[in-house]
Amino acid sequence: MKLANQLLQTVILSVAALLLGTAPSRAQSASLSSSSSPVYREVTDETGRSVRVPQPVRRIVSLAPSLTETVYALGLQDRLVGDTEFCDYPPDAQKKTKVGGAVNPSLEQIAALHPDLVLVTKGLNRLETVHALDNLGISSYATDPHTVNDIIASTKKLADLLGVPEAGASVAAEMERQLAALQRRLASSPAKRVLFVVWHQPLISVGKHTFIADALRYAGAVSIVDAEQDWPQVSLEEAARLQPDYLAFAASHSEASPPGLEALSTLPGWRIMEAVANRRYAVISDAVNRPAPRIVSAIEELARQLHPELLAEKPENLNENSVKEKMEKEKTGKDKDEKTPPPPIQPPHLAFSLPSGGLRGSDAVPGGRACAR
Amino acid sequence: MSPGSSHARHLAEAGRLANEIRLSVEQISYAYSANPAQAPLFTLEATSFQARPGEIVAILGPNASGKSTLLKLIAGALAPLSGRILLNGFVTHSLTPRTRAQRIAVVQQESRLLFPARAWEFVLQGRHAHGRSLRFESEDDIIIAKNALAQVGAADLSDRWMDQISGGEKQRVILARALAQQPLLLLLDEPTLHLDIAAQIGLLDALRRLAAANRYTVVVVTHELNLAAEYADQVVLMQRGRCLRVGPPINIYQRELLEQVFQTPLTVELGSSGRPRVTVLAGTEA
Amino acid sequence: MRPLTLRRLLLQCFALLVILFVVVVIAIKFGAVPVSLYALGRDLWNVLLHQRTNISSDYVLIIQNIRLPRILLGIMVGASLSVAGTSFQALLRNPLADPYVLGVSSGAGLGAILALIVEPHVTLSPVFAALLTPLGAFLGAAATVTVVYLLGRREGQIDSTTLLLGGVITASFISAIIMFLMSTLTGNLRGLSFWLMGDLSTPLQRSVYWFLGIGFLVASGAIYTTASDLNLLLAGEKEAMHLGVDVPRVRLVVYIAASLLTGLAVSVSGAIGYVGLIVPHVMRLIFGSDHRTLLPTAAIGGAIAVVFADTLARTVVAPNELAVGAVTAVVGAPLFIYLLRRRLA
Repeated sequence: MKLANQLLQTVILSVAALLLGTAPSRAQSASLSSSSSPVYREVTDETGRSVRVPQPVRRIVSLAPSLTETVYALGLQDRLVGDTEFCDYPPDAQKKTKVGGAVNPSLEQIAALHPDLVLVTKGLNRLETVHALDNLGISSYATDPHTVNDIIASTKKLADLLGVPEAGASVAAEMERQLAALQRRLASSPAKRVLFVVWHQPLISVGKHTFIADALRYAGAVSIVDAEQDWPQVSLEEAARLQPDYLAFAASHSEASPPGLEALSTLPGWRIMEAVANRRYAVISDAVNRPAPRIVSAIEELARQLHPELLAEKPENLNENSVKEKMEKEKTGKDKDEKTPPPPIQPPHLAFSLPSGGLRGSDAVPGGRACAR
Repeated sequence: MSPGSSHARHLAEAGRLANEIRLSVEQISYAYSANPAQAPLFTLEATSFQARPGEIVAILGPNASGKSTLLKLIAGALAPLSGRILLNGFVTHSLTPRTRAQRIAVVQQESRLLFPARAWEFVLQGRHAHGRSLRFESEDDIIIAKNALAQVGAADLSDRWMDQISGGEKQRVILARALAQQPLLLLLDEPTLHLDIAAQIGLLDALRRLAAANRYTVVVVTHELNLAAEYADQVVLMQRGRCLRVGPPINIYQRELLEQVFQTPLTVELGSSGRPRVTVLAGTEA
Repeated sequence: MRPLTLRRLLLQCFALLVILFVVVVIAIKFGAVPVSLYALGRDLWNVLLHQRTNISSDYVLIIQNIRLPRILLGIMVGASLSVAGTSFQALLRNPLADPYVLGVSSGAGLGAILALIVEPHVTLSPVFAALLTPLGAFLGAAATVTVVYLLGRREGQIDSTTLLLGGVITASFISAIIMFLMSTLTGNLRGLSFWLMGDLSTPLQRSVYWFLGIGFLVASGAIYTTASDLNLLLAGEKEAMHLGVDVPRVRLVVYIAASLLTGLAVSVSGAIGYVGLIVPHVMRLIFGSDHRTLLPTAAIGGAIAVVFADTLARTVVAPNELAVGAVTAVVGAPLFIYLLRRRLA
């Protein structure tokens, strides 16, 4: 009876409190979540929203795998207090507190983590989630990269916002350097015409304004689909008419190839594509799906499979300097590099800049994935 | 003023009321046209008749003779093309649905229910027009509903579900609901259609008793020539949208007239009750 | 003979309110983040004493800013859908009628989507911007009802079967338009696919709660004034008219009010199915089909159903969330079949 009474009071009071407007203002709850003196920095995020971000950012929740990877690449993994169930890279990210999926995260789980900043990306998260966070007085910052250059710029801006501009510059420089090296090698070769398969039943590909389409260009390829929409559904007739040189698939590292890949050549609608009949498939890491620094490795991986004649060497030879440096760093744990600016906190996670062999396991034979005739 | 003269006046008043015309159907007609360009199609040509309290009027006629149209017009469900229907001096179709329901009760052939209801709930529906739109039934309503059930001999059905009683019982409960409306005018559309002979007689006996006791004016649409002859004070004979005759059964039930209206050979004789009796001669002309 | 009395009505409502209260407490207690009843009580005590500084931030953030608004939303959405379903069933004399079958929900959804498309192109004050979607949903619902109503008219009379068929056709037509919009337009419409499955997870602006609450009270109040008329409408429009019901007026009032309720519910929660269909039937089996009890008990029952379903949606796969519409369908469909069979037996 006493308990029931208490419960009754609980509910009545809570409802009353809610209705009478005792909800804290934005500043109030923000001050609750960051214990120190609230200093704010007003920035405009990539979707054009004006965002107030408490400084310094000590507690980060990431709502996208790409942002989780970026946070790790910047060496800020200790500040990451929560991420999504899809955040599986690097493996350590799986140990973070999960707040649900990217589309439908649990707001209360996010709130319970008292983040200073929630990172979202326009391509994956919902606007409603951002509005909800706004209503709760939780700062959120949205990225919206459409090209590989955007990814680099986005990484730098984010590093700046999170107070580690040097790490950002270093990661960006490394990405640019690797891409430039790749461009030099591919310069002489004409671009391969590729159908990037996001989903095969129905056939979904990428539109021209996506970072994936741009990544294909860096890999010495061009998407045969030239759609305004980001994720266009492509008819098989159209694909057959355009006759791609290669079909490109992204496989998560937990599986060798996308399910059903072998069966494709038995399907009548697909067989009419010569690339399918001849099994000219390029299967690369799903890092290509994530607008994070690691996309560079996916680009290299794709380039090696599409242009085996130009990039036949071992991956170590591709960027001999950088890899040597890294191996050195791994051994010594120190930064004795003079060519690149020293990372300020920790060496950025090596995996992001390693050629893909590193992340897919040593079984990946360079060039072997492109099942050319 | 002496008590005696008051009493006399009261009696005179009662006598006047008893002889007063309650229902007056004056030259009403009804027509509809599928579209404005077409000539209207008459389903009822000018019809007149009058009825007093306690009288039973039977509307007779073959199918598509306009019987149901006439009943709908009297009920106020249709507005007449011409003419008017007066109930105690009020034009029926211009009354609000509420006022009309306080004065006219309509008993349909059957009542279909979407969700199950008990008989008493069903009878209480008759009190709807007498209360405010949102309220709970009063003690009076309950007494009236109980009386209505008792009057049709269905008091024991009160707590039964409407979908679990026989057709005859159901018809009595439907009649009880009409009585609960405490109407001046009781309209019945082929009430005996689904009943066996005993139930038909039972219903019409009850109707005659109630009409006499409660001074209802009753208008019944029926196909049953002999039941109409037995129970009606007046008969309205219809054919193809036209009212042919109005009068007591003895005047209407003439062999030639009925043979012409119903398109079948028959004989008419006088029954033991002093009412005419019709026998259809099936197969004689075949 | 046991006619309905005010006392019995209040007793029934009170019994249901107790259940709603228990469900609300459960909904407050459980969620992705564990909250102890003790901590809850202590924080409330501090709220009561206006000792804001002692309130733990978990209470403020999670209970007050996330769970309670969501529960409140669930109550209003559940009550609205349930009352709308009850009304449509009586009005159309069809036990299968509910906002979804009639296409009213689809229409509201389309209206809401159009409002979302228009929103970036007009500049409005934040208060009005928050009301744009509910307004679009209401207009969509009202427009659909008008179209379905016109489709259902035959010879100037409303024909329930034609109307229902018109509703089904309209619903699928509108769904096709929604599909078309979602596949051709880019931008934030991706979130809609989640929203269309029924979603209560997004806290809304405070003005929306007021709008919703006042809209619910006005619309369901208007419907309640026709409660006894609806009882008679169950026997058919003709019979209801003969018993004294002003059928055209009742029809108009209930159509507008039920569309408003559907529009409001859909605009904030998307398509939560089965509530408008099943809750009224359950309440009918328990309390009878008198709309004077049915409308209020269905309102509370709808609130209970949605709050309970949403609690399940939040907790079953926490920290992930299910669409509450999926939960209502999974719980509702077997329950409906069970009740149907028991009724027939």
